[in-house]
Amino acid sequence: MATLTLNNVTKRFGKKVVAVKDFSLEVPDREFLVLLGPSGCGKTTTLRMVAGLEEVTEGTILIDEVDVTDLPPRRRDVSMVFQNYAIWPHMTVYENIAYALKLKRMDKKTMDKTVKEAAEMTGIAELLERYPAQLSGGQQQRVAVARAIAVKPKLFLLDEPLSNLDAKLRVATRTELKAIHDKTEATTIFVTHDQSEAMSLADRIVIMKDGEIVQIGSPDDVYHRSVNLFVADFIGTPPTNLMDVDLKVENGDCRLVNPDFDLNLSAENAANLKDHDKKTLVLGVRPESIVLVPEEDGVLAAQCLVSEPQGSHQIVAIELGDRMVKIIAPSDPRIEAGETVHLTFKQEALAFFDKETGLRI
Amino acid sequence: MKKTKKKPVNIAKAAKTTIFYIFVVGVMVALLLPIYFIISLSFLSTREAYTYPLPLVPALKTQFKLEQGKRGYLLSVYDRVEGDYESVLDTAEPEKMQVYLKSQLATPMTMEDIEQQIARLETEDVIYFTRRRNLLGNYQTFFGVAGFKAVPALIRSLQICAMTIIISLSIGGMAGYAFARYAFKGKDLLKFSTLFVRMFPGVAIAIPMIKILVGLNFYDKPIGLSLVYSIGNIALTVWITASIFMGIPESLEEAAQVFGGSKARAFLRITLPLALPGLAAAAMYSFLGAWNETVSAIILTQFNPTFSVIVYQTVLGAVGQVNLAAAGGMAMAIPAVIFTFFIRRYIRQMWGGVTI
Repeated sequence: MATLTLNNVTKRFGKKVVAVKDFSLEVPDREFLVLLGPSGCGKTTTLRMVAGLEEVTEGTILIDEVDVTDLPPRRRDVSMVFQNYAIWPHMTVYENIAYALKLKRMDKKTMDKTVKEAAEMTGIAELLERYPAQLSGGQQQRVAVARAIAVKPKLFLLDEPLSNLDAKLRVATRTELKAIHDKTEATTIFVTHDQSEAMSLADRIVIMKDGEIVQIGSPDDVYHRSVNLFVADFIGTPPTNLMDVDLKVENGDCRLVNPDFDLNLSAENAANLKDHDKKTLVLGVRPESIVLVPEEDGVLAAQCLVSEPQGSHQIVAIELGDRMVKIIAPSDPRIEAGETVHLTFKQEALAFFDKETGLRI
Repeated sequence: MKKTKKKPVNIAKAAKTTIFYIFVVGVMVALLLPIYFIISLSFLSTREAYTYPLPLVPALKTQFKLEQGKRGYLLSVYDRVEGDYESVLDTAEPEKMQVYLKSQLATPMTMEDIEQQIARLETEDVIYFTRRRNLLGNYQTFFGVAGFKAVPALIRSLQICAMTIIISLSIGGMAGYAFARYAFKGKDLLKFSTLFVRMFPGVAIAIPMIKILVGLNFYDKPIGLSLVYSIGNIALTVWITASIFMGIPESLEEAAQVFGGSKARAFLRITLPLALPGLAAAAMYSFLGAWNETVSAIILTQFNPTFSVIVYQTVLGAVGQVNLAAAGGMAMAIPAVIFTFFIRRYIRQMWGGVTI
């Protein structure tokens, strides 16, 4: 069990391509940290640098306060689950799990016990004598996890381990991964581009874009207190609804004006925005923070474009200006396409972003 | 009682299947028949080899008829095709008869035996006797004619093949790995240029090759020929192994590194065993290429010919003895067949996850 520190880590491929830029991060012992971002944001490169599979161009990486920047992977005491699992096809499941233990010169009895424990924990105890080709994708994934936990590493690195599973299995497996983490208490770095995976697993999420950290925070932080437009748009399904609005301050009243609506802001929001009079801002509002109300309470009225029933709720899409706005509404009453809906915003859940910089106000 | 309904026969489908099998069998016969005839021919006696139609299987015994002839003793042989005895030799000299029996009928008899049979003619008009055929006669003659040269040439050829495999597999394999794993400038051009060396026919560049080999003091030596063969084979090996290594995900090696191995160990324990079928295929190509090659071998050897050269010379010299040429061809083919069967095990040994 260990801590991980990255100090100003930069990775360049060739002279021009910067994959990771000045990345600094501290991961305390036992944390489940998720690196999240769209493809090409440098999250996998960062993980590979921690594993030692990619050389660090600048900066240092410390595991348990020991500089491992120039150590080969085998000296770092880490283990990894690869996106394609990378289990060795010419070895049985047992041999796959035992490979690292053999190289550590573990005695036969302890090794046997350790392999069986790891297999037990991942639910593949009855598959030990099989070859990988005889396993399903989900079982292969478990072998990869079993192999990684058997070595009892300081750091447990997972590179999109669930992306090759089907949707249902993915959700089930992520619950199991979380349970395994709780049991092993290994410091874990998990890379994914799936925000719902990140939200459900992480103690802390690191959101990356173009090789840089955009926001570090708990799932609640990144969801409710997104630092900029990118995060607000990236996190959540459906994502935050973003609309251009003009701010108007008139005789003590603070109003958001838009061709479609004219909203009187609450005192709290008004205080927050008092320095931005007459500016155009971007209003961010989560789909569940727009509520259906009777006609007389509505701030705006719009025609329902599409409604997608989800069982527990329905997602109603309307068009405001040229933007699609999605609303999560209770499943009852069912709203049909073409129906006129009256809506208002939950004032406490509104987020405002600077139109130029994209930063939250 | 229930009547079982007859399934309607799908005529179109049945016809299709029938035509397909006829085609397959036809192709097989076309491929195997010449091979069968070569094998069968290599066991026939010279006389049999020039009868028409050719016997399908060599006779194990020869039936003789001996009687008084115009010039001496008239020897007749039972012809299986005609179903009758056919006179083949009329001579007074038993020595001549012995030579004829051995060379033309592949039925060696001792002088004593022959004289005994002749003696029997004093009491009987016609005598019949049967003697065993020497089936391997052609092979004995082949190695006998090629004489002391055939066996050393066989050993030399095997040496050349082994060296060719080692050189082209080590250099070509390493290059193939580099082409598969690393990105560098001019990679595609370099990969294609390995094939350029195969464009030149051996005969066309024979003179410079001789000059270079003489300069290296490799002329007329196995090492010289194996170097020449390796040039072409390296190109082939590069392409075969590069595609094999490309089919093995790099992450398998990376995983081995993360789980406690060095780069070299990861290669030896993970990538190499997985690449074995491809390497075996490359080795087979190298072997067959080096084994069968004759043109360069004729040019680049003088006193130390390879086996293929010996076979070539024997075939040239065996005019009027097509069965002897067949035996030479078989002697040439058998080691290649044995090697291919041996290596086939590795080629078929594909591991589940890796598709090649």
